[in-house]
Amino acid sequence: MALLDAGDSEAVRRGFRWLRTAQRPDGGWPPQAGVDESTWVTALVALLPPEQLSDAVHEKAVNWVAGSSAEESGTIFRLRQWLLGQSSLSSNQAPGWPWIPNTAAWVAPTSIAVLALQKESRRDSRSDLQKRLDEGRNFLLQRMCKGGGWNHGSTTPLGYPTTPYPETTGMALTALHGVHARQIDVSLPLAQRYLSECRSADAWNWLRLGLLAQGRLPVDAAPAAELQFRSVPEVSLDLILQAAFQGRNRIFAA
Amino acid sequence: MNAQSSLTRRAWLSGSAGLAVLSGCARKSQPASAPPVSVVRAPAYDQRLYDTVRRVLQDHRLNVRGRRVLLKPNLVEFEPASTINTSPLLVHAVYEAVRQMGAAEVHIGEGPGHRRNTLDLAEAAGYFQAVPKFEDVFVDLNLDAVTRVRPSRQVSHIQKLYLPNTALAADVLISIPKMKTHHWVGATLSMKNLFGLVPGGVYGWPKNMLHWAGINESIIDLHAAFPRQFAVVDGIIGMEGNGPIQGTPKPAGVLVAGRDVRAVDATCCRIMGIDPLKIAYLQPTSANDASLLASDIPQIGETLISTMTPFELIPEFQGIRLVNPA
Repeated sequence: MALLDAGDSEAVRRGFRWLRTAQRPDGGWPPQAGVDESTWVTALVALLPPEQLSDAVHEKAVNWVAGSSAEESGTIFRLRQWLLGQSSLSSNQAPGWPWIPNTAAWVAPTSIAVLALQKESRRDSRSDLQKRLDEGRNFLLQRMCKGGGWNHGSTTPLGYPTTPYPETTGMALTALHGVHARQIDVSLPLAQRYLSECRSADAWNWLRLGLLAQGRLPVDAAPAAELQFRSVPEVSLDLILQAAFQGRNRIFAA
Repeated sequence: MNAQSSLTRRAWLSGSAGLAVLSGCARKSQPASAPPVSVVRAPAYDQRLYDTVRRVLQDHRLNVRGRRVLLKPNLVEFEPASTINTSPLLVHAVYEAVRQMGAAEVHIGEGPGHRRNTLDLAEAAGYFQAVPKFEDVFVDLNLDAVTRVRPSRQVSHIQKLYLPNTALAADVLISIPKMKTHHWVGATLSMKNLFGLVPGGVYGWPKNMLHWAGINESIIDLHAAFPRQFAVVDGIIGMEGNGPIQGTPKPAGVLVAGRDVRAVDATCCRIMGIDPLKIAYLQPTSANDASLLASDIPQIGETLISTMTPFELIPEFQGIRLVNPA
């Protein structure tokens, strides 16, 4: 996606070719070549333009994302928890997305999946996509830390409230683009404070994207002098943001 | 996970540790050739550490000549003022020592479980300052290429275990953890430090797969996946109470080291005032696992009694307190 914005057409062609080859029969992608399992990264691919990826490949990717959910939202797991006396049978917890199958849901993979389904919902009004999209948004709203912002997903894992992280707060605000909720209002001042204190490129990127999504990015936001872009994902997300500032927002636009 | 289910799991673990202790009672004592554990005084993070570490590694005749060595510190959070991360000065002291001992290749590698921005974390923890050309020797294990490992014997429910190639290619893995209490397993030391080898790039942040597979069981499986280990535990200032993140600093003034990392961890537990026979992941899982009775662990350096510094334990773990240090 960053290369699309950078205008490197040959690299983009090679990238799409590789993605088409690497898609697994179930419609998903592994996080790297040696892993024989589809994971959350599938939602990243589902964000790419279908006309360049191929409609068929894109559709399988979207279906994989829509059909994926965390272990704790499954009937067998909930029944087991109920038998152990650890929860009620009818959970009001919205199902989110896990990093890898058969594990719990977390804010980061849920945010990426919500973004992918949100983008797809502008092309396709299927009711199952809308249902999962609503569930994902509700998961994020339910998992906000006390006082605002987001940790990885657990709000009280040890019996006391967790504190939010800048990166995950930015991701959740990005995914909640277009949503109006008290949780967002509470979290925006915190995100703006994090942005002003930010020393990490990953956090800087996601906070800017989140605040941009909510229309609250300060016009004078500037990175700290010591902030460095050290990894490919950090540089890539910065490129995507630069394009968004110029009106080419590939994450939110259809 | 809610508080109720965590207590249930703790109760279960206490039970399983108890069973393991009972099964351990019938074991024969350790052979006389068991590798020793060093307990040495290290009162502060200063230049004396370089000499102390060099002497410890020489005492153990650690053979690194011509070999690839991976140093695995414990990097957790952006808390420069706290004792949450392994001291960069200690890691550099080990780095310099193994280079002087003729190692062909030395890398420092870590894959933090909570934060994705590993290099930013390392910078905040002081690694860029303490280790010259840090970025040239550091490997973010969360993003390393991986290989699937199929353990011959597995006790956890890990379905597919992928580990970073840098760690699998190392001839010697030196675990350099912080001496800390842990709100799930009682104490986090050399063996628990191996959670940082599990690639977040595959399993995500936090490394929830390890919790689903059983925390204690996963520690045992990871330990078994790396047969050539050595441990240097940073007990100069540890963490007590609600570790490994929200605890409070606890000066213990020691380094604990050895090639039998299970025995190193058991010794650390005794220094912390914790009964290692009540730490579930330290219990024997095969006939090859040595006894952890204090009398069966050859020790060099300071005596246990002289270095014992009981760490505060959260209420849920009062039951692991060491009653009889002898």
